[in-house]
Amino acid sequence: MSKPRAPGFATLAAAAALACALAAPGAALAQTSYGVAMLSDYSGPYADVMPMLGRGREVVLDWWNAEVGAKLGVKLNHKNFDTRYDAAQTASLWPGIKSEMKPIAVLGLGGPDVAALSQRLPDDGIPLFMSTAGYGYAWKPDSWIINPRPTYTHEHAGAFKWLKSRRGGSQPLKVGIISSEASPAYVDIARGIERYAKDNPNEIQIVETIFTEVQPTDLSTQVRRLVRGGVEAISIQTNTAAVVATKRALQGLGAKVPVITSSHNGLPASGKAAGGLDQMEGDYEVYGMAIASDEDTPARRFYEKLKAGYKLAAPWNALTVMGMSQSLYTVRVIEHAIKKHGAQNLTGAKVRETLYAEPVTTEETFGMLPTLKFTKEAPFPIEGLKVNIATIKGGKYVTAATNVDTPAVKKW
Amino acid sequence: MIIDFVNYAINGALLGLLYALIAMGFVVIYRASKVFNFAQGELVVLGGFLQWWMVVSMGLPMIVGIPLAFVLAGVVGLLIERIFFARLVGESVFAMVMVTIGLLVLLRGVVLVAFGPQVRPFPIVFPLQPLVIGELMIPTNLLWGGVLTVLAAIGLSWFFNRTRTGLTMTAVAEDHQVALSMGISVKRSIAFAWILGCVLSTLGAVVFLSGKSLNFLASEIGFAALPVALLAGLESIGGLLLAGVIVGVIQGLATAYLDPLVGGAVGSVLPFAIMLLILLVRPTGLFGWRTIERV
Repeated sequence: MSKPRAPGFATLAAAAALACALAAPGAALAQTSYGVAMLSDYSGPYADVMPMLGRGREVVLDWWNAEVGAKLGVKLNHKNFDTRYDAAQTASLWPGIKSEMKPIAVLGLGGPDVAALSQRLPDDGIPLFMSTAGYGYAWKPDSWIINPRPTYTHEHAGAFKWLKSRRGGSQPLKVGIISSEASPAYVDIARGIERYAKDNPNEIQIVETIFTEVQPTDLSTQVRRLVRGGVEAISIQTNTAAVVATKRALQGLGAKVPVITSSHNGLPASGKAAGGLDQMEGDYEVYGMAIASDEDTPARRFYEKLKAGYKLAAPWNALTVMGMSQSLYTVRVIEHAIKKHGAQNLTGAKVRETLYAEPVTTEETFGMLPTLKFTKEAPFPIEGLKVNIATIKGGKYVTAATNVDTPAVKKW
Repeated sequence: MIIDFVNYAINGALLGLLYALIAMGFVVIYRASKVFNFAQGELVVLGGFLQWWMVVSMGLPMIVGIPLAFVLAGVVGLLIERIFFARLVGESVFAMVMVTIGLLVLLRGVVLVAFGPQVRPFPIVFPLQPLVIGELMIPTNLLWGGVLTVLAAIGLSWFFNRTRTGLTMTAVAEDHQVALSMGISVKRSIAFAWILGCVLSTLGAVVFLSGKSLNFLASEIGFAALPVALLAGLESIGGLLLAGVIVGVIQGLATAYLDPLVGGAVGSVLPFAIMLLILLVRPTGLFGWRTIERV
């Protein structure tokens, strides 16, 4: 019987290398893949803003995969699905999205996604993470639709309160609303502000709510009624075309009334459509996330990092911030879920459960969002709500106010 | 106040004349080919983008850029006829109408690919300041649009009723085979109609978009002009003026007085209700041709 041969140096070296490789953190971890579906609008009413919002979303997921997911042994596969901002299109795409990606989270774009999926998500066990503010019709307990921001009404109510305090006096702020019946979300926002006015007659008074087309032909007549009614601020949360048409009507009338926009139709986007940022002088945009001004902030530094290291080809503006913040809080919730439940067998239900168990801190989103403490009472955080306000001053986009308290708003 | 009523009525009438200008594109193409062009709104958008391209993107002075855009629009009209409709001479009207629906989708895609989805600033062609007469306030772009619409209607009426080319186009609309047997070039007539349709759409874009923003959603104006075309009857150029004023005044007054009461876009819906009523009561419209068939 021959004696077993002693292992040679080469064999020992190979074994040692294999052992080292297996023991090395991260690199040797088996990668578990999960799907994150992204509902987008590259050919509908928000096709103009989608490239920025979409790149913001995608690059954050790439960054997370490279710097966080690799250490946890998880990779998030992501893919865009063009819904054309149409509830019917979202509904028809949804079965295919589920079977193709088996997502543990979905990134939504707007009201049509909410309308199409709110009834289906509980059965499918997949949470829908939004970038937008919340909607009145989706303000329900135990929701599978998650908003990092309160409703649009909350956000604009914060701006109204701030404007009233700047103006001084006890008279309510006279507000005009320009909206459209093209989307249920637009109508919902208008109804929310009307309800806020009814509940808070000392805060604001609605001069008139005007519903118009998404590409208005001429708003001179309507805006004239608002001006004659003594309007002090005009709230527009539809699209940039409505903002431009309103501005032209105001310019034609020689009236200087500030227009208040949101993140999706904000000042840089509306200014670009109107022919220059100076066209929006003295107007405002308001929302519950970081303002993309030139100041050196953690959010700006994170953007610069992604731009340099991950080829983020989108300008520093509210739309890119929307996309980045949407992906950021989503991956942080998934990250918390992995730490709690392990990398294997993660499900959408476990991700949602973790959302309520652990807040997403402002540090985790690099200051893009405030600390988010979700409860099952509402799809958005209902405590400590703050908004930021930007304006155009001397032709430049600047921060007008930060951490403005948002007043209480009743459900409508 | 009575002055408000007059103001809303005047602004409505001028808006109706803009719809009439857009509807002229429908009528010109229909008169020459009996084809209802569903892509009319897309032609307005294309005309708008051609002007944006010339004036804003290429930086040409408006006096050069806008006429160049009109020439390009005419070329597009000719291309549309050569590529799609020249092959359909003698085919059923239904086939041609279906092609216009395909054209709608195609043009939307072409605009998205060629010019992108971004909202673009349209040049300020007409002064932003409204014309103020006492208490009356009239938007300058709509006022100029009204003047241009009336001039275009007079010119087109003369063209269709007094010129050889115009009369041959009418003959082509009656029956392709009969027109061919009479030695009329059907292809040339239809090509001319499409060129004219594209140029009119570009003129409509100037009035509609002056000083505003432009993206493919502007095509909705095509459907807003539909009730005007149907009320006038799809063959009547002169009738468009009256139909435009009727629809515009009703819409303007509804927007002013009914919208605030019901909190909804009655002004946008009412013209379509009128359109459905017309189709029920008088399918040929107010001034449309009545077909007399001899057995």
